[in-house]
Amino acid sequence: MSMRFRFGAEGDVTAPSDDRLAVGDPRVVDFLAKLARKLLAPALARRHPELGSLGYFLRPAELKRAVDRMRRDDALVFPRGNVFHIPPANVDTIFVYSWALAALAGNHNVVRISSRSAGAAEAIFQALNEVDADPVIARTQRMVTYGRDDAVTGALSRWADLRVIWGGDAAVEAIRRHPLRPSGRDLTFPDRTSWAVLSIPGWRAADPAARKAAALGFANDAYWFDQAACSSPRTVFLVGAGDAEAVRAEFLELLLEVVDQRGWTVDAAMAVEKRVNAYGLAATGAATSMEFPDNRITSLTLTGSDQVPRRWIGAGAFPFARAGSLVDLVPVMTRQDQTVSHFGFTPAELREFATALGGRGVDRIVPFGSALTFGAMWDGYDLPAEFTRLTTLQT
Amino acid sequence: MSVFTLAQDEKEAALLPQLDELTSFHRANCEPYDRILSASGYQKASGIAELPWLPVRLFKTLDLKSIPDDEVFKVLTSSGTTGDVSRIYLDKAAAAEQQKRLAATVQTVLGPKRLPMLLVDTKAMLKDRRSFSARGAGVLGMSTFGRDHVWALDLDGQVDLAAIRGFLARHGDAPFLIFGFTFLVWLHLYEVARDNGLDLANGILIHSGGWKKLVDQAVSPDEFRARLAGVGLTRVHNYYGMVEQIGTIFLEGPDGGALYCPDFADVVIRDPLTWAELPPGEPGLIEVISTLPTSYPGHVLLTEDLGVVHGIDDGAWPGKRFSVLGRLPRAEARGCSDTYREAA
Repeated sequence: MSMRFRFGAEGDVTAPSDDRLAVGDPRVVDFLAKLARKLLAPALARRHPELGSLGYFLRPAELKRAVDRMRRDDALVFPRGNVFHIPPANVDTIFVYSWALAALAGNHNVVRISSRSAGAAEAIFQALNEVDADPVIARTQRMVTYGRDDAVTGALSRWADLRVIWGGDAAVEAIRRHPLRPSGRDLTFPDRTSWAVLSIPGWRAADPAARKAAALGFANDAYWFDQAACSSPRTVFLVGAGDAEAVRAEFLELLLEVVDQRGWTVDAAMAVEKRVNAYGLAATGAATSMEFPDNRITSLTLTGSDQVPRRWIGAGAFPFARAGSLVDLVPVMTRQDQTVSHFGFTPAELREFATALGGRGVDRIVPFGSALTFGAMWDGYDLPAEFTRLTTLQT
Repeated sequence: MSVFTLAQDEKEAALLPQLDELTSFHRANCEPYDRILSASGYQKASGIAELPWLPVRLFKTLDLKSIPDDEVFKVLTSSGTTGDVSRIYLDKAAAAEQQKRLAATVQTVLGPKRLPMLLVDTKAMLKDRRSFSARGAGVLGMSTFGRDHVWALDLDGQVDLAAIRGFLARHGDAPFLIFGFTFLVWLHLYEVARDNGLDLANGILIHSGGWKKLVDQAVSPDEFRARLAGVGLTRVHNYYGMVEQIGTIFLEGPDGGALYCPDFADVVIRDPLTWAELPPGEPGLIEVISTLPTSYPGHVLLTEDLGVVHGIDDGAWPGKRFSVLGRLPRAEARGCSDTYREAA
């Protein structure tokens, strides 16, 4: 098998190993803490702001919290075993989050890194390889790039006790053609859609600084990964009574200011992509108006909250829909829906919404600006629990 | 007889009312088109560049037609790289008019009579249904302008030197038509003519297709022309066209170097950042405009090709002189749903 090792000891990655790590193994904790320090170095974090968030996630205090969450009183907790990770190609940092949690749980990991990885991912490999680590880390934690090779994917699938598949429905289906061992399981991250909800009364009650901060948080959520991360907000619901038009106009104006300040750009192909999709929504009657104030912002007025597009329609493409209340949105939400980012609602309104959803859709409800913040609970999974296995003991 | 006669201001004066009327007609007869224009707030154009354009890719995702179903005479399809296919609906009148205008355009360089025709392609391609739509339609469409057709490639796609020699023996001493895709002409006609000392001096070549493969081999349009002249082929006309405006081709002038718009068509180069019309010399996205699409709202289309206008009313033919520079790379999302297909 032809493999390029980006991190870890070279050799047969599926060979049996005598190395044993424990849940919260000090050697792993030490390694991740050192990695965090490298990622948080000001020069690196300036170049790749997403590495700042990652470094923050890997701080010792956060690691300790994650390990504490793995411990239980009613069972002995052990690593699940071998974990094969298939992260998405183009979200440069996501592979580190899931791998780090799995490593912290003491697993032997193989992460398949896309050959298209670039930018921040390259900086991460450099940092990983610079950390002065216990040799057991390199023997148990491997990150490899290999091409279209069913034999390798098949061998790793048989090796794995847990296979972690990111990248949407198509990826999940493609990987599932390779059987797991009978005791193995899949942890899948299929296609997801995420929303933003903005309270009209809440907006009007907010002072100018709070409105500005909301636009800034929303812009980070939307533009950081070209609005294509699974948790990036797409349709914006304007919720509650009042002049929705005025709120939307002010929101878009503030958003454009942020985009200007940040110097974000949208290339020609993306601008065409957005036109194609916006015109398509207009042609089918899903949208009654579309505005292109600037290449970086496309805004659409949807005819109803049941007309929301569930696929990616471009970077900086914002369909808007009205809703009387959050609870009115409940019938619109489906199992595909992941994150709802909110502004201007009371905790009681949000709790009522979450309760009414009843787990049938939406895994995360977070404030504007936190949509992309990865957590140990993701896509409805408690990841530390997924990465461990339990032994009960009765004496 | 030429369809390259109108100076730019004459052309715009003649085309604008027709295109305006087409816009109104399509709005009245194609509901999705009307919805698009209404949603974008379109009112009226006071110049060609203000006409409402549709992204050409919409014909891959939507059924856009301005005629009732029972008047559909022909459905044209194009193959796309993503597997999506454009569907273009023609009624009898539109099909006839498009064919007539295409004929008038190529007759500008071929003359009124049908010429013996050498097709630089393989007949087998017509049987392959997947490649048929794009390449086959081009070959079939153009073949009606010739007679005594001979295929330069055999059924296996290999050069049929005997067939070419036979064709030249029968027709080589008087004007004849050569048609083929640019890359195939380079690979299977130019090189074969050069290596076998074939005389193509009476040939008139009409060719189309992207330059990418040739640019990869470091062959520029200028070099293409110069090398073909080396085997006697000096009357060479590249053209730019697409299935979405099938009867309209933008044809290379006799002196080479640039494409021209027939009297019933025009191009606008747009800045992909501001969407404003760009002046000569500045490259941008090509918008193609034609009065021929009467059965579907395809009279003003924004392509995903990059091009540049070199000059206006200053070339071998009147109107805009432009070049196609290549395709705009497709937008790629870098999200979580970026799939694993490549390694599955």
